[in-house]
Amino acid sequence: MTGTVGVRTWWVHLLLIGAVVIVIGPVIWIVGAGFRTQISLLMGQFWFDPELFNFEEVLFSKTSEYLLNFRNSLIVGSLSTALCLTVATLGAYSMHRMRWPRWVVHSLLGWALIFHLIPPIALAGAWFAMFRNVGLDNTFTALILAHATLNLPMALWLMGVFVREVPVELEEAARIDGATTPALLRQVIVPLVMPGLAATAVLVFIFSWNEFPVALNLSLKQTATVPVAIAKYAQDFEIKYTEMAASATLSIIPALILLLVAQRYIVRGLTAGALK
Amino acid sequence: MATSEIRGIDEPAAGVKTGPASANLQDEASWRWLTLSPTVIVFALLTILPLANMLYMSFFNVGWAQGSMVLTPVGLQNYRDIWGDNLFLAGIRNTLIFVVAATSAEMVLGFGLALFCSRITRGRTFYRAVFILPILIPGIVIGAIWKLMYNFDFGIINQLIGIVSIPAQDWLGQYETALLSVIIVDIWHWTPFCFLLLLASIEGLPQDVYEAAKIDGASFWQELFRITLPMMWPAILVTFVFRMIVAFKVFDEVFLLTSGGPGTATEVVSFTIYQRFFTEDRIGFGSALSVVTIFIVLMLLVLTLSARKRRKAGA
Amino acid sequence: MRISRFGNSSPRVLSLLLGTSMLVSAASLPGRLQAQEVAPITIVINQSPWFEGFRCIVETYEDETGNVVELDVNPFAGSLEKQRNSVRAADGLYDILIMNSGWYSEMYHGGFVTPITDIDPSFELDPAVDSNDDTVYFDAATGSSDPESGKLMSMPIAPLIPLLMYREDLYEEYGLEVPETFEDLLNNAQALHNPPERYGIVQRGARGPHTVAYDFYPYLYGHGGKIFADQNSGDFTVTLNSPKGKQALDYYIQLAAEAGHPNTASLDQAEVIQAMVTGKAGHIMTVIAAWPQMDDPNKSIVVDKVNLTVPPHAPGYPSAPAFGHWLGGISHNVPEERKQAAVEFFKWYQTPESQIKFAECGGVPVSLAAYDSEISNEREFRWMAPMKKGLPLAVNIYTFPEAAEVIAILELELNRAIAGETSTAVALNTMAEQIHEVMQRYGYRTGMLEPLAE
Repeated sequence: MTGTVGVRTWWVHLLLIGAVVIVIGPVIWIVGAGFRTQISLLMGQFWFDPELFNFEEVLFSKTSEYLLNFRNSLIVGSLSTALCLTVATLGAYSMHRMRWPRWVVHSLLGWALIFHLIPPIALAGAWFAMFRNVGLDNTFTALILAHATLNLPMALWLMGVFVREVPVELEEAARIDGATTPALLRQVIVPLVMPGLAATAVLVFIFSWNEFPVALNLSLKQTATVPVAIAKYAQDFEIKYTEMAASATLSIIPALILLLVAQRYIVRGLTAGALK
Repeated sequence: MATSEIRGIDEPAAGVKTGPASANLQDEASWRWLTLSPTVIVFALLTILPLANMLYMSFFNVGWAQGSMVLTPVGLQNYRDIWGDNLFLAGIRNTLIFVVAATSAEMVLGFGLALFCSRITRGRTFYRAVFILPILIPGIVIGAIWKLMYNFDFGIINQLIGIVSIPAQDWLGQYETALLSVIIVDIWHWTPFCFLLLLASIEGLPQDVYEAAKIDGASFWQELFRITLPMMWPAILVTFVFRMIVAFKVFDEVFLLTSGGPGTATEVVSFTIYQRFFTEDRIGFGSALSVVTIFIVLMLLVLTLSARKRRKAGA
Repeated sequence: MRISRFGNSSPRVLSLLLGTSMLVSAASLPGRLQAQEVAPITIVINQSPWFEGFRCIVETYEDETGNVVELDVNPFAGSLEKQRNSVRAADGLYDILIMNSGWYSEMYHGGFVTPITDIDPSFELDPAVDSNDDTVYFDAATGSSDPESGKLMSMPIAPLIPLLMYREDLYEEYGLEVPETFEDLLNNAQALHNPPERYGIVQRGARGPHTVAYDFYPYLYGHGGKIFADQNSGDFTVTLNSPKGKQALDYYIQLAAEAGHPNTASLDQAEVIQAMVTGKAGHIMTVIAAWPQMDDPNKSIVVDKVNLTVPPHAPGYPSAPAFGHWLGGISHNVPEERKQAAVEFFKWYQTPESQIKFAECGGVPVSLAAYDSEISNEREFRWMAPMKKGLPLAVNIYTFPEAAEVIAILELELNRAIAGETSTAVALNTMAEQIHEVMQRYGYRTGMLEPLAE
């Protein structure tokens, strides 16, 4: 799509394939570990007969509630992503295109930055106390709010970059045509920032999906998410590598699907941008 | 494409030039508040309290008796104690090395991959899906699995280098290689983050500029330095700043890979904070450590941003 | 429906029926409080190799009594934070806290645990139950674990101690005797040492949350060394850097150098156990909780080839396995009827019958009655005899809530000494000095020995 000046395509593919091997090696190792016995993994054997019992253990054993954890993660991940992106897109648009005084924008972004600097584990205790005081502990609401908040600084900043890339002229034209703010957002801004929105959404979802310390502190059995379940395999006296690998393999699936689906939106967003 | 649109994060849009002329000022005024208020509300409710609490606690020693909290005011003692905390000082040093090394490598690799990926028409979906895989895996799994791969007796890395007759190394146990090994895991884990954001930004660049450059017969390097890089500065800077902040908070990998050892070779700041704040339950001292860490990172950011400003002023 | 004993079949059937009907009605009437004598309780516990056994025994309790128990199972990393969250809130989420040896004293000292005998004055610890070096008792006035002046604070749940695991098949092949003293261990380890195929012994040396220090205690105490002079009488004089302490650390390092793994300083517990199950170790000294992996064909190539004994000791001193045990305490901030229900569970849990069942389920029993039962003669339960021998000898290392700071000091300096970065004398003097500083900061009666010649 962009210029291809001076660079041959096969060269590029060769480089990219090299990177693919480095990136995918450990992933294949992890996925493969899910199909092995622990002793085969520990002996460092290269060849092994794939077996499914780790997946059976993770999905169907009596102590594992993986399907429940999976559902919980889906709920928390998708709703917190939706909330976070809505707030961030509106906020970014407002801050960068609605003539706020400089200090308002600076202090909000600065505060986002400071907040983002705190290790999440240091927030977990304070949030637990807050949510328990208002009777929201051990609810999805608490976890969704917490995850949306944790990712808000990143979303706000990224959406700021993408919103500012939208040409002012297009916005002015729409205003002159009599577009109200919601119409402008829906018909001009959102389609134009689609690639950025999709990329941000993927990141926010993944961060929520993999977040551990806050999810642990704000959840009980019924609301525990996938990382909390996976962490149980790293025990004090034993790391259950193969069960851990199997559950990690399963946990990759939704984000991967999201990514593949989001690609279409990214492309569509681009074409829409080109057509305007 | 107006060049005024390419703007750094340190100068948010404000004033007449950047906002579109509005036909309906009334409408805009109310929507102005409506669009910003969710951000303000979330920040007010969920971030100010924990942060204020942390700042407050840093001036106390926190103990527990008969099931309730006992606060002993100690003034600035917690802050004074920081300079005697060997773990924290080692942590600062290692974290700085870690952040600089890992973040630069990730930015360069991520940008390179994004640039290459944007130049091909076929297979982009495939590459994007593959490169994103590492960030899909929970940190705790990455720590456990890389620890196995680094294992001295049967890890795959020693097996591989054994093929070319390099003697087996105790990657995570030697002072010389421990921090480097952790950095390599981080690069593997987080390059995709930079890649994804930078690719989204490259894809968002206006095509007409490139077409014009093509017509003018610009070389690959001219195109890169005159067009792509300048137009991408905001995205590069934001990606860099975010990666840097997250790198400063590195915890998961160290927790399972080395726990800070050998000695203090891989001690990092957030691990020290975890140790003091949670393991030792010194809430006051741990809060002071957090506050000082935030202050240090803010200083670094100011330096980064002002360096960029000077660079821009000079250009 | 307060039926705490089983064995008598008619109340048992009755309680089962009652329990089932209660469950059914509870399920059909959501939100309505059920009139019942024993309230449902929630136990917070962490995932571990012995958790399966605990879950099984709790299910047995539910089946036999009809009482309802909810288990909140957490990863080991973070389970302490969840307990702190609960006990520090206005009302607690958890009724029974399963506390590790590393944090039970924090819960006692903070007033987060209600003494069992305050809830039910008639409660008595079953005489066969090991008191875990009296850590179940606590005297709030002196902070000591004196069974005379203290109150009964908790119920032992899993009395984990380290044992020496050795390759029985190789012992027969090489004609070795089960080691009694540290000298025996060194000789046996050297006999089995054949690097890099097999190391005579694999020890922990890595820095961690409680890693190298925990493995060092049996060596320290088995040489007659100590960290503090006498914690129970309030004398916190730091005695770590005594000549005996130096002897112990020198021995630990000698063992690693002459019959151990070349990278001892970077090995943690998982790697030590891995070395054994992959046939790379002749001996390991590790917690009994790791035992089930040895005989699991999915995890081990040395199935049925490993046996255990109590940790060795220096002549003239007893074997000294260090407690890494779990205690059950009743949270202070839960309603009275739930506290009562928690005591009911403890009453049932400590009976010999329950404890034998616990062992059969894969748990590590707290009652000597289980170790005396028939199953202890079975090959599968060959760990029971050394446990029985080790439990009465086992020592508890810390009785004060700030122990985590002392552990952090030990972890760093022991790791550095084992890595050869510092000499043993310097390491011990440094640790003693820093520990002394911590104890002083918290106002304990403390002091120091003459430093060792460096």
